[in-house]
Amino acid sequence: MTLGVKQSGLVQGTLDMLILKTLALEPMHGYGIGVRIEQISKGVFQVNAGSLFPALRRLERDGLIVGDWRPTKNNRRAKYYALTTKGRATLKRETRDWEVQSAAIARILQASPGEA
Amino acid sequence: MAVFRRLISGIRGLVRNQQIEQELDDELRQYLETSIERKMQSGMSREQATRATRIDMGSVEAVKDGARDVGWESIVEGIWRDARFAVRILRKSPGFTAVAVLTLGLGVGANTAVFSVVNSLSLRTLPVTDPERLVTISSDFAINRGFTAGAGWNYGMWQLLRARLDAFEGGFAWTPAKFNLAERGEIDSIDGLYASGDYFSTLGVQAILGRTFTAADDVRGGGPDGAVAVISYRLWRGRFGGSRDAIGTRLVVDGASFTVIGVMPPQFSGMEVGRTFDLTLPLGTEPLINRAAAAIDEPRRLFLFIMLRLKNGQSADAATAAIRSMQPEILQTFSGTPPPFLKEPFTLVPASTGTSGGGGAPGLRQRYERSLLTVLVIVAAVLLIACVNVANLLLARTASRQRELSARLALGASPRRLARQLLVESLLLATLGAGAGLVLAAWASRALVAQLSTSLDRVVLPLPLDWRVLGFTATAGMITAILFGVAPAIRTLRMAPMHALKAQGQGGGSADTRTSVSGGLVVAQVALSLVLLVAAGLLLRTFDQLTNVPLGFDDDRVLLINVDTVQAGVDPAARNQLFHQLVGTVTRVPNVAAAAGSLWTPGSGAFNLIVDARGRATNDERRVIANFVTPSWFETFGIPLQAGRDISERDTAHALPVVIVNEAFVHRILPNREAVGETLVDSDSAILRGRTVIGVVGDAIYGSLRDPAPPTVYIPLAQSVGLQPPGRTTITITVRPVTGPPASVASAAGAALIATNRDVAFSFRTLADQMKASIGQERLAAMLSGSFAVLALVLAGVGLYGLTAYTVSRRRSEIGIRIALGARGADVVRMILRRTLWLTAIGIALGLVGAAFLTRYLEAMLFGVTPMDIWTLAAVSLMFAAVATFAAFLPARRAARTDPSLALRCE
Repeated sequence: MTLGVKQSGLVQGTLDMLILKTLALEPMHGYGIGVRIEQISKGVFQVNAGSLFPALRRLERDGLIVGDWRPTKNNRRAKYYALTTKGRATLKRETRDWEVQSAAIARILQASPGEA
Repeated sequence: MAVFRRLISGIRGLVRNQQIEQELDDELRQYLETSIERKMQSGMSREQATRATRIDMGSVEAVKDGARDVGWESIVEGIWRDARFAVRILRKSPGFTAVAVLTLGLGVGANTAVFSVVNSLSLRTLPVTDPERLVTISSDFAINRGFTAGAGWNYGMWQLLRARLDAFEGGFAWTPAKFNLAERGEIDSIDGLYASGDYFSTLGVQAILGRTFTAADDVRGGGPDGAVAVISYRLWRGRFGGSRDAIGTRLVVDGASFTVIGVMPPQFSGMEVGRTFDLTLPLGTEPLINRAAAAIDEPRRLFLFIMLRLKNGQSADAATAAIRSMQPEILQTFSGTPPPFLKEPFTLVPASTGTSGGGGAPGLRQRYERSLLTVLVIVAAVLLIACVNVANLLLARTASRQRELSARLALGASPRRLARQLLVESLLLATLGAGAGLVLAAWASRALVAQLSTSLDRVVLPLPLDWRVLGFTATAGMITAILFGVAPAIRTLRMAPMHALKAQGQGGGSADTRTSVSGGLVVAQVALSLVLLVAAGLLLRTFDQLTNVPLGFDDDRVLLINVDTVQAGVDPAARNQLFHQLVGTVTRVPNVAAAAGSLWTPGSGAFNLIVDARGRATNDERRVIANFVTPSWFETFGIPLQAGRDISERDTAHALPVVIVNEAFVHRILPNREAVGETLVDSDSAILRGRTVIGVVGDAIYGSLRDPAPPTVYIPLAQSVGLQPPGRTTITITVRPVTGPPASVASAAGAALIATNRDVAFSFRTLADQMKASIGQERLAAMLSGSFAVLALVLAGVGLYGLTAYTVSRRRSEIGIRIALGARGADVVRMILRRTLWLTAIGIALGLVGAAFLTRYLEAMLFGVTPMDIWTLAAVSLMFAAVATFAAFLPARRAARTDPSLALRCE
C-alpha cells in the first residue's frame, strides 16, 4: 500500500506522524526515512519520493523538523533531518490522539451485534 | 503564529529562490544515488538499479513541483513565470496580439470614454469640504421639471433667511451671470457668478493667491476694499498670465470697475456641472453692474438660488422642518402673489454632485444624461461583441497550440497549471487592451465633451482620472479577460493528450465542439450587432425627422444681434426708445434688406409669460406665449402674414392697443370667428386686455422642435413699456442681408450700434446656428450610436470572416477531394457559405426579437418613428445580410481556388 499525499487528509497527517516518529529514533536523510518506514512496517507502507519530499518540506516549514547538510557514510553530502523540541511535543500529542482514535475504531470493529 | 511562520518562509522562498532550488536539486540527486546504491547492493547491475529507481520515483520534475508547491510562494512564482511566458508567446504572434489588443482597446476605450463623461456629469462630487452636507432649497414644482438648482428667491427673502442661518451650519445665495469684460463694442463674454459673502467659507474653498471675499465685502456698492472680484484659475492663467501681480489689478466688468483680490484653486470651478465660473462677484456689487435694473432692488426678480450646509449630524428631516418653519415668514416679504413654486413646501435637495439647471433653462445634466446613459449601454454591447471576437481568436489559437499543450501534459504538467497559464495570458491581453483603451478614452472623452458645446454655450467638463474611472476600466478589463479567457482554459482542462498528439486537429470530438461553440458565439455577435444597428437606425431617423420639422420661419441667412443696453443705465421708458433707435440704425446699414427687433426669438428655446388666453398664469397645457416686436419683424423671419396687417410705426403707445396672433391662437382661442378686428375684452392679463387683433401670422416654433407651435401673440414693442419682464435690458435685432452670408453685415451693424449709443454691448450669432444648437442632444445621440453600431457591424463581420476561414481550413482536405472529383468553384462556395449564412440568419432573427423587446426603452427619445418601425428593421436586416455575405464570401472564394493536390498533401 502506497501512502500518497493525494489521498484523504487522514493519510497525509499519518505520513507526517510516521516521519516524526522515525526521526525521533535517530536523525536521517530522506531516502533513509523512506526505507526505515518500510522496514518497520514490514513492507505495509512504501513511501515514494513524490509524497516524501512535500511532507518533509511541510514539516520543515512548520518548524517540526530541521535540516542539516552532513557527509554520509560514503562521504557524500546529504541533508539530514532531526526533530525539534516543537516536533517532539507534536509527536507526543499526535501519538496520543492516534491511540485514542484507533482504540475507538478497534472497539467499533470488534463489536458484535447487540453489544452496547 | 503558524501563519506568521509561513509568511516568513514564503518570503524567504521568494527571495532566496536560487539557493533553495539548488538545495532541492542536491537533495533529490543524493536520494537517487542512495537508492541506486542500495539496489546495487541487493544484486542489481547499475543499469537495472538506475531504471528501477527512476520507475519508483516517477518524474523528477513532478517531485520537485510537489515539494515546491508546499509554500504559498510557489503560487506567486508560478504566476510570475506564467506572465513571462505569456509575454513571450504574445510576442511570437504579433499579428494576433495586435488585433486582439486593438479590438479590446476599442471596446474598453469607448466604454471608458462615455463613462468618464457620465462620471463628470452626474457622479463626481464637488471638490469642496464635505459635499454630502450641502443642499439646495427647491420645491416639487421645480424638481419635477428637473431644475436641481432649486426655486428662485428674491433678495428680500434671502436677507430674511440670512438672519436665521444659525439653524444650519451655514448658507449662501448665488446666481449665475454672464459678464462682459470688453470696455465697449462687441461683447467679450465670460461666465460668472454673484454670490453672497459666505459663499467661499461655507463651501470651504480657499484662494491659492490673495484671498476670497467674505461677508464684509458683500455690502451694497462694495465693502472696505471697494468692489472686489475673485477670478478662476483659468482666467488667471489666460488673461493675467499667471502672474502674482494680478492681485490688486483693476478689472472692468460691464463698464464698472472692480479690484481682483483672489484666485480660486484649479480644481474648483463652481457648482454648476459643465460650467466654469471665471468671475465671482459679491452679491452686493450687483447694482454697480445692472445699475437702474439692479436685481437686488427689484422684488419681482426671483433670481437667487440658496444653498445650505447642514450641521454635522443634522438629519435631512430636521433641516427640512427648520426651513419649512421659516417659510411663512419668508413668503410674507413677497409682495403680491407668490408664484406656484414658492407656495409649495420647501424641499431640500442634496447637492453633493453639483447643480444643473435653474432659472428656467434645463442644465447640462437634464439635457444629456439620458442620451449618454443610452450610449453607455450601446457601448457596453460593443465591448461584448469585441470580447466574442477575441474569444474566437483565442479558441483558434488554442486549437493550433494543441500539440504544445498536450506535450506539456504528457511531461507531467497538471491541467490546472496549464489552465492557469492560459488565464494569465488572457489577463495579460486584457491588461494591454485596457491600457490601450485608457489612452483612447483620454482622447475620445475630450472629443465627446467638445460635441456637447454648441455655438451658444460652451461646455467645460473636467475629466479627471479619478478612482471611479480607473475602477471602471479595471473592472471592464477583468470582465473581458474572464469572458474570453475562460473558454480556452476550460478546454485545456478537458484535453486528453493522446487525442491531441494524433493527426493535427482533424476530426474527433474536440474539433466539432469548437465550431459549435464558435458558431454560437457568432450568432450572439450577430444578434447583438443587429440590435445596436436598429437602435442607431431609429436614433438617426429621429434626428432626420427633427431637422425636417417645419419651423414656420426661414432660418437661412438671418443674423441675430443680441444687444445689451445695461451700461446705458436708462429707465424702462427711455430704454424702449433706445431699442427703437438701435433697430432703426441697423435698418439703414447698407446691404441690409430688413431689420427688426424683438425681445425673444423663435428657436431660442426660452420664452416667458406663461399665461392662458384669459391672461392667467397657468400650466403648460393652455399656455400662450407672447413676444414684443417691431415693424417688419415677420418679414425678417420669413413668417407669412395670413390675414390683416403687420405692425407699423403708427402703433405707438398712444394709439389703439393692438396685437397680432398666430394661427394656433386662432384655432385654439378664437375658433369659428373672424380673428381680425376682434377685441380681447375679457382678459385678466394686462398684456392682452383690450387689445384689438389686427393680423394673423403663421405658426413659428419657439421652444422644442418636438412640440407643435404654441398659440402666440405679438405686441408692438412701442406699446410694451411696463409689460416687459423687470430688469430686461437686452433686445435681439434680426437682420436679413440683401446678398451674401449673414456675417457680412455684422461689423457694419456693430459700428452703427456704437454710433447710436456708445454704451451698448452686443454679440452675434446666426439663426441657423441657434436652430442647430436646439437639437444638439439628438444629434449627439445619433452620431454616437451610429458610429458604435457601425463598429459593431465591422466587428461582427470580422467574426464571421474568422469563423468561415476556420471552417475552410478545417475542411481543406475534404474540399480538395471534392474539387479533384469535379466540383466546380460555385459549388464549393455554396457549400461553405451555407453554414455561415444559416448562422447569420439565426442571428438576425434573434436580433430582431431582441430589438422588439429592447427598443421600447428608447421610446422617450424618438420622434417621428415608432420603436418597431418596419422600414428601419428591414433596412438594417438587409444591410447586415449583405455585409455577412461579403465577409463569408472572401474565404469561401479562396477555398474554391484550392489546389487539390496541395490540400491533400498538407497533413
